[in-house]
Amino acid sequence: MSITALRPASGDLATLSLTEAAAALAAGDTTAEALTAACLERIRRHDGRLNSVIWLEEEAALQAARAADQRRARGEATGPLHGIPMAHKDMYYQAGRPCTCGSAIRRDFRPAYTATVITRLEDAGAITMGGLNMAEFAQNPTGHNRHFGDCQNPWRHGAITGGSSSGSGVAVAASFAFMALGSDTGGSIRLPAAACGVTGLKPTQTRISRHGVMPLSFSCDNVGPLARSVRDCAAVMQVIAGHDPRDPTSAREPVPDYTAALTGDLRGLRIGVAQEWFLDEVDDKVHAAFMAALTVLRERGATVQAVTLPMMDQVLAYSAVVSRAEAATIHATWMRDQPGDYAAHLSGRLYPGYALPATHYIEALSRRGPVLRGFAQGVFGQVDLLASPTIAQALPSLDETRIDSGDPEAIRRFGAVSRNTRPFNYLGLPAISVPCGFDGHGAPVGLQLAGRPFGEATLMRATEALQRDTEWHRMRPELEG
Amino acid sequence: MEKTVLHSAGDAARQWSGVTCPNETGRQMMADLLKIIADFEAVRGAMRFEDEPSDFEAALQACKEQMPKEQAPKEQMS
Repeated sequence: MSITALRPASGDLATLSLTEAAAALAAGDTTAEALTAACLERIRRHDGRLNSVIWLEEEAALQAARAADQRRARGEATGPLHGIPMAHKDMYYQAGRPCTCGSAIRRDFRPAYTATVITRLEDAGAITMGGLNMAEFAQNPTGHNRHFGDCQNPWRHGAITGGSSSGSGVAVAASFAFMALGSDTGGSIRLPAAACGVTGLKPTQTRISRHGVMPLSFSCDNVGPLARSVRDCAAVMQVIAGHDPRDPTSAREPVPDYTAALTGDLRGLRIGVAQEWFLDEVDDKVHAAFMAALTVLRERGATVQAVTLPMMDQVLAYSAVVSRAEAATIHATWMRDQPGDYAAHLSGRLYPGYALPATHYIEALSRRGPVLRGFAQGVFGQVDLLASPTIAQALPSLDETRIDSGDPEAIRRFGAVSRNTRPFNYLGLPAISVPCGFDGHGAPVGLQLAGRPFGEATLMRATEALQRDTEWHRMRPELEG
Repeated sequence: MEKTVLHSAGDAARQWSGVTCPNETGRQMMADLLKIIADFEAVRGAMRFEDEPSDFEAALQACKEQMPKEQAPKEQMS
C-alpha cells in the first residue's frame, strides 16, 4: 500500500478538510449537495472493502443537503457547519433512526429521542448521513465486531483500526465523512484516531453532554470528535461543548473560543515526557516518530522535559475497577437473559465485573478526586502537557488480537493496545491524538498529549502548531476498489 | 488459594447478579481479578478516607487550566 498525500486540489471534494469544505461553501465554490454526493460516492466505491458503515440514509442525506443549499441561497445559513455531511459511531440516539450500538442485541433499536450532541451539530447546519461500525457496545480497543464484521484499516489491510470508534476512524481517514463523533471510555477516540491517521479529541470528563448516548461507564464515558485536522476538531468542539440541562453531569464551565487559541505560538509551553509506564513497551519506529514530533514542538517554542508521574499505582488499580463494575451493571439484564447474543470476548470481559466487591468500587470512586489532585499537583506543577505515543506498539493485526479464541497471547496484545490511553479516563483529563508518522509496516503512529482539566484549547494549540509544520495529517490512504 | 478466590468470585456473580460464566474467555478474564486484587493490595494504606466529602467534579475545577483572556467566550468579552 503506497502512501499518497492528497491535496484539496486533487478534485475530489470529499478529501477536503471540514474547515476547507466550510470555507468553500461560504464562498459559494461548492454546495452541500455536491459535498454529500462526493462522500456517498466514496462510500459506495470503497466501503465494501473497509466495512466502516452500518447504515446509511442516502436519499435523506441528499434531501437535507439540498435544503441546506436552499437556506444558504436565502441567506439563512444556520451555523458554522452548515451543509457539512457527517456520520457517527452508531451509538448516538436519533429519533426514529437505527442505533445498533454495534450489537445483535440492539440491532432493531430505534430510539424515541435524539442525543444533544446530534441536535447541536444539526442546529449548526451539519447533515447526518448514517451510523458507523464500532466495537460491540463500545467495549474493545481493537475494533473487532462479530455481528457487523471487522472494520479494515485503510492504511494496512488486516491491521486493527483501533476501537471502539473503529468506523469513525476509518470513515474520516477514507474521506467518507468530514467528521465523525466517537466515544472514549478507555481510549476509544484516540486509538482509532492513531491507528487510522486522523485527529481525535477526548475532552475533559463532563465537558460534553452525554444525553442520548449509549452508556458504557457513567464515570468514564466521553463524547468527542474525530476529524482530519486539529482545526476541524476545534470547529466541532465549539458547537458541541457546554452544559446541557438534560445531562446534569455536564459541566457549567464556560466554553472558550477554541479557534482563537490556534495561534501556532508555543513559546513558554512546557511539555513533559513521563519516565514510567508510557514508554515501557515502545516500538523503535513508534519511538522515533514520537521523538521527531517533540522536536517540531520544540522548534515552535515549547520546552520538553522528563517528568516523574505521581499516583500511577492508584490510577491503574482504581481505573481497573470503575469501568468494569459500571459496564457489568449496565449489561446485567442481557447477561442474565441472553448472554449468547454477545461476542464471546465481550460477555467474557463483562463477567468478572459481577464479582467485584462494592466496597472496592466505592473506594475507587471516592478516591478519584484526591488522586486527580495528587496527579495534577505533581505533573502540572512541572509541565503544562504530558506527551506519549498514543499506541506504543507497532499496530498489531486483527488476527493477532482476536481474543474470542481465548489465546493468552492475543489477550495480552489486546490489553496492550490501550495501555497509554486508559489512565486519562480515570483521571478525567482531556487528551488528543494526532498523526506523527508511520510504523515499520505502513500503519500510522499517533502522538498523544494530555492536559489539565478543561485545557482542550491548549492541547489543540500545541497539536495545531505541529500540523502547521508537518504533513502527516494531510496524507490519505490510497484506496482500492 | 487462587482457585478458591476464583470459585468464590464465580459464586458471588451467580448469587448476587444471576450471571453465570458465559464461556472459556469468561473463565480466563475472571482470573484477571487476581491482578486487580493484587493492585488494590499494593496501594492499600497509601491513602486515607477523608472526613470531608470528596468530590471528583470539585477536583476537576480545582485543577483546571485558567482560560486566557483572548480565548474567553465572545459574549463575555465586553
